Amino acid sequence: MMRIPYLPTLLAVAAVAYSTAGAQSHNHTVRVSVAVITALKVSSGTVNLTITGAGVIAGQDLMTVVDQSTSLLWGTNSSGKKVTVQSNLASPKYTLKVEALGPTQGTAAGQVVLSSVARDFLLNIGRSSGTCSIRYVGEALASQGAGSDAHTITFTIANQ
Amino acid sequence: MRTTQGRPFFGSTLAAGVIGFFFFLLAVEAASGQSITIQGGNVTLSITTGLAGSEPLPVMNTATRLRYRRTLYTQKITVQTSCPGQNFGLTVVASNVTAGTAAPQVTLSNGMPPVDFITNIPFGFFSNATATLNYTATATFSQGNSAELGDDLHTVTYTISAQ
Repeated sequence: MMRIPYLPTLLAVAAVAYSTAGAQSHNHTVRVSVAVITALKVSSGTVNLTITGAGVIAGQDLMTVVDQSTSLLWGTNSSGKKVTVQSNLASPKYTLKVEALGPTQGTAAGQVVLSSVARDFLLNIGRSSGTCSIRYVGEALASQGAGSDAHTITFTIANQ
Repeated sequence: MRTTQGRPFFGSTLAAGVIGFFFFLLAVEAASGQSITIQGGNVTLSITTGLAGSEPLPVMNTATRLRYRRTLYTQKITVQTSCPGQNFGLTVVASNVTAGTAAPQVTLSNGMPPVDFITNIPFGFFSNATATLNYTATATFSQGNSAELGDDLHTVTYTISAQ
């Protein structure tokens, strides 16, 4: 017959040894990759600026109309970026100006005359997501007569 | 039954059997290899699109799963990660857990202490259980991109132990 002294102690030691012997680990690699992402969106597709002659001052050649109904939304995760603006019309009949108002990131470049050459619209937007209002000013001279220009306006996130 | 000294006898054949059984279990556990494994290999999550005025869209991966062994006591699984120079977000949560209770979603951050991932894995005689690993990668525009900052490489470690 086998004799086991301190049996409860032995049992406890064995149980503890068993319960702690099972701690094991395993690992793997998880790679997170983020592409260069730029996103631009104008809040509305069409803006109409109509100079009707209402409010025109007699003797003054310049007539203007203003629209501030749309906004620009953007997102970029690259550093050193700006937003430019251009029109598809190289020589529009009337003058159309645009400027950014109240950008949540970056600095407004100020009012520019739209042409087919890209002009700065917002500067130093950096890595950001933001919005600003777009203010268009249409100008016509009485001497230019009646007519219309249909601009396709393109905003671009570009390297600064 | 009594010993030759007259004390209650646990000690003879029965006691030897009990103790032997514990060591037998230890031997079985040791011989049966890893009690936790990750199936499906390594994972890559690529964030490629974003919304103007909002943020890049999160990406999810559910291609890997944990396989773990139940045993004669209640266990839990913890998770931790090592990712020096981490720039982007990564979370993980278990789903389709066949034994135990999934903990809430865990945010994986470099140098984090082990965090509960699956708890209350019940007693079971060396039967296997599984859980799907649901990884979600997140990034903000302000956090930048991999071309400028490099990818985040996480070594994610799962540990099973007594609870």
